[in-house]
Amino acid sequence: MDIAPFVQAIQASPPAEWMRTSVKAMPIVESVHVLAAATVFGSVFVVDLRLLGLIDTARPVTRIAREMLRLTWVAFGVAVIAGALMFSANAHTYVVNTAFRLKMAALLLAGVNMVVFHALTYRTVDSWDRSNPVPLPARIAGLTSILLWVCVICCARWIGFTKGYDFSIPQNTHIDFQF
Amino acid sequence: MRALAAWLQATHASHTIQTVSWVIPLLQSIHILMIGVVFVSSLMICLRVLGGVRTDEPFAAVWRRFAPWMWAGLVLMAVTGLTLVVGEPLREFTALSFWIKMALVAGGVAGTAAYGRSLARLALPGAGFSVPARAGAVLIIFLWLAVIFLGRAIAYDREVWGSLSLHA
Repeated sequence: MDIAPFVQAIQASPPAEWMRTSVKAMPIVESVHVLAAATVFGSVFVVDLRLLGLIDTARPVTRIAREMLRLTWVAFGVAVIAGALMFSANAHTYVVNTAFRLKMAALLLAGVNMVVFHALTYRTVDSWDRSNPVPLPARIAGLTSILLWVCVICCARWIGFTKGYDFSIPQNTHIDFQF
Repeated sequence: MRALAAWLQATHASHTIQTVSWVIPLLQSIHILMIGVVFVSSLMICLRVLGGVRTDEPFAAVWRRFAPWMWAGLVLMAVTGLTLVVGEPLREFTALSFWIKMALVAGGVAGTAAYGRSLARLALPGAGFSVPARAGAVLIIFLWLAVIFLGRAIAYDREVWGSLSLHA
C-alpha cells in the first residue's frame, strides 16, 4: 500500500500549513504535547505501581484505576491532537524517521498490553481487587506498561534530535511579544 | 552571564555532555518522565484539597502517598536539569523562559512545601478546606503548568518572547 499520497494530503492540509507558518504554533503545541504525554505517563504510573504492589496496597485496584484513568484518557486525547498537529507539519519527514517509528511501535504495544490486561486479567479483578500481591499476569502488565511508556517518551524526545528538518523562524516574519 | 556560560561551556564536563550524542536526549527524556511524576503527584494533592479525588482519605494520607514521589521526582529533575545547564549553558542562560521558569519552580516548591506543613494536620476524611487553601491549590496547578510550558519554550525563546528574548 502506497501511503505517500495520504502523507502528502496531511502535509498539505490547512492545520499543517498553520503549524509551519505560525511563529507561536510550534512552541505552544509542543508544550501541550509534552505536558499531556507526561500526564499520561504519571497517571498510568500510579496504577502500574499499585499493580506491582509498591504503593497504595490497601486501596482497591478498581478505585485507583477509576481515579487515575480518567486523567489518563483526557491527557491522552490532548496528546494525540497536539501530536497529530506536529506530525502534519512535517509528515513526510516523520514517516521515515526511525525514532518516530519506534515510538509508534511502543505506543501500539502499550495499547495491546492494555487491551490484553483489560480483556483477560481485569475480568477477574473482583477476586483480587484488595489483594497484594495481585496475580502475576497483572504484575507483568504493570511492569510492561511502565517500560513501554518510558520507551514512548524516550523515542519521542529522540525524534527532536534526528528529525532532519528545521523549525526555525519563518523568513520575513515580524516577531514581537504578542501574549 | 554570557561570560559564565562561556566558561561553563569550556569545561571538560560540559564538553563531554555536548559531544556524547545520547547524553542530552537521555537527560531530557528523564526530565520529561519526571514531569509526569511530579505534576501528577502535585495534581493529586491539589485535587484532594479541591475535593476532586480521594475524599475518602484524610489529606495527610494523600500527602504521605504522593509527596515523597513528588520530592524524589523534583530531585531527579534538578539533577538532570543542572546537567543540561552544564551541557548547554548558553542555550539556557540566554533564554528568558529559563529564568522565569527557575523563579516559578522556586515558588512552586516553596508553595507546595508550605501546603504540606500547614494542611497535613487536617486529618479528617472528607474534611473540607477554606477558600484560601483551595485558591492555593489552583495556583499551584497553574504554577506547574507554566513551568512545564516555559521548559519547552526555552527552545523557542525568540518565537515566544520576541524582542524581550535574551537571544536577540
